[in-house]
This record gives sequence, structure tokens and C-alpha cells, in this order.
Amino acid sequence: MEITQLQLDALREIGNVGSGHAATALSTLLQRRIDMSVPEVWAVPFEQVTSIVGQLDTPQAVIYVKVEGEASGKAVFFFPVESAEIVVKALFGTNEPMDLYNEMAQSALKEVGNILVSSFIMALTQFSGIPLQPSVPALAVDMIGATLDAIFLEEGVLEDTVLFIDTQLTGIPKIEGQFIFLPDDGSLKKLLGAMGV
Amino acid sequence: MNGVITVGMADFKTATAPDLLLTAGLGSCIGICIHDPFLKVGGMAHIMLPTANGSLGGNPAKYADTALVLLLKEISGMGALKSRLRAKMAGGAQMFSFPGKPPVLKIGDRNAEAVEQELKRHGIPLLVADVGGNFGRTIHFDVGTGELRIRTINHGEKVV
Repeated sequence: MEITQLQLDALREIGNVGSGHAATALSTLLQRRIDMSVPEVWAVPFEQVTSIVGQLDTPQAVIYVKVEGEASGKAVFFFPVESAEIVVKALFGTNEPMDLYNEMAQSALKEVGNILVSSFIMALTQFSGIPLQPSVPALAVDMIGATLDAIFLEEGVLEDTVLFIDTQLTGIPKIEGQFIFLPDDGSLKKLLGAMGV
Repeated sequence: MNGVITVGMADFKTATAPDLLLTAGLGSCIGICIHDPFLKVGGMAHIMLPTANGSLGGNPAKYADTALVLLLKEISGMGALKSRLRAKMAGGAQMFSFPGKPPVLKIGDRNAEAVEQELKRHGIPLLVADVGGNFGRTIHFDVGTGELRIRTINHGEKVV
């Protein structure tokens, strides 16, 4: 569907608030100050997503939840393995190298990812008034292209428009991450309609 | 130095030796590689779903059935003989699993099955099928030798 400038501004505001929630949650969890950049927001056809994420075989930590509710969809938060490692190390209070495939690291990542993805879903609900419930999270630390294609194709269909929010959370050192919402058919229209744009 | 031709998602490309074909980050998608070892030409398609199912207006390179037809047509146009063609494929993973919920529609498996069936229908032998698992793959295909190099993040690298 076509997105107007006004709608894009509204989505950017959701990105702002979502990033704010994410920064606060991460700050509480890690007991350190986390700032966020003003996020960039895109609403793009599925095919263009791959050009936004860059190299398709770059390893990233990807957290995926299904969103239930009147404006259902799929939500994803992903960050580069370097950022994921920073977060996990901070969580365990260690400076030792961390194997992101070990069970403890994976469950920590899943938890952190869940908090971050929920921050954005919360913002969507806040702005639209539509209650949305995230499922339990699933995690993969793998090539970004491989994880995204699996998510996009899960129901055997390709979504038309993908909402893409690029956010930077800056602690010490920098943590980068991106949030994607793939609205099910009709959900984006409902969300935007509920926001009055 | 060999040229490397990149095949994007829902895309297909052909090449002549010594060029390599590359597709990066296959998850549940499948990379279909076909070559004529005699003429040393070949092609690769990066398919996303099993069948176009009569849906019009979409990109035919997205689907196993329609992409293969396109790929074969282009390879034949380069002089390749259908009777000499050989195929390999990789991908078709199940990247995520939700606790307690077995996935009803394993799209990766369905893709692999569809490719296998379509190749059979066209009478092209499938020499290698490196499919399934829960990890992504990046593949390089040498259209001259037919060598397929499969790289993963945490499951090693191999040439098949």
C-alpha cells in the first residue's frame, strides 16, 4: 500500500517512542546509561528490505515474535553479533569472550530481545489504542538474510509493506539494533486508521 | 581471477566458466544450481516459495516451478543440452522454532520438495541436496566444474 508523508511521520513517532522504551528497558537491565538516536523509519515493499539490511550473510542475533491482536503481524528485533556480545557480557558482568551459541547466552539474548521487541509493540499499542500481544520469542544467531527470509515466508506468503525502524542505542560502547514489523494483510491500514492518519 | 556474479532473492542468473555464481544468506529459500559440464555453462536461481500456483503479476523467479522454467530457457539459449544438465541445491532450512509449537507449514521442506519434483519433471538429475537444518547458507557455484561451496556461520564450510 502507498504510504503518505503524514503516515510516515506518525510511524517515525512510533519509532521514537519505541526506541525510548527500548533504551529505558535496556538501561534498567544493564544498570548503565543508554541513549538513543532518533531512528530512521521506512515503510518499504518486502524486496527492498534486503537492501536496507546490507550484506545478507552478516551474522546477527535475531529475535522473532508473533504479534496477536486486531492488528496482527510479525515483529523482529535484530542486532549485529558484536552488539549482542556487548549486551550479554554486560548482563553477566564479564569481560571474557562470550560464545553466543551457548545455552546461557542464548537464553539471555532471547530475554533481552524480548524486552526490546516488546518496547516497540508497546509503542504501536500506545499510538493506535489497539491492544497487541507478543508471543514467546524465538531466537537465531545466523545470517541476517537467512533469518529474514524464513520469517517473511513463514506463512507461505510475502507481505506487501514492511515497517522498518533503524535505531541506535548508545551505551558504553555503542549498541546498534533494528526493529521490523511485518503487518499481516490489512493490519497496517488498521493501525494507521486508528491513529487518525 | 574469476568473476563472481551475485544472485539476489527471487532472482536468477547464468554464467560461463570460469565465472562463479553466488547467493548469500539462504534460509528457507533454496539456491538451485544447474550446469552443463560439457559446455561449462550454467545458472543459479534463488527461489522463495514452492509454486506460483497460478498467481499472476508476481515475479516468476520467486517460485520453484516458474524460476526453473526461466533458468532452463536461458541456459538452453547458451547452447546447453537438456540431456547433459546436472543440478545441485542448497537451503530450505527451518530457522526458528517456537517452544511447544511444531511448525505446521515448514516452508523450507516444502521448497526442497518442490524443487526436487520440478527437476524430476524436467528430467534433470539432482546430484546434491544440502537442505534442511536450522542454519543459513551462502553458496558459490562453479559452472565449469559443478563444484558447490556451502558456507555457514556455525556449521562449517564444505564443497560438494
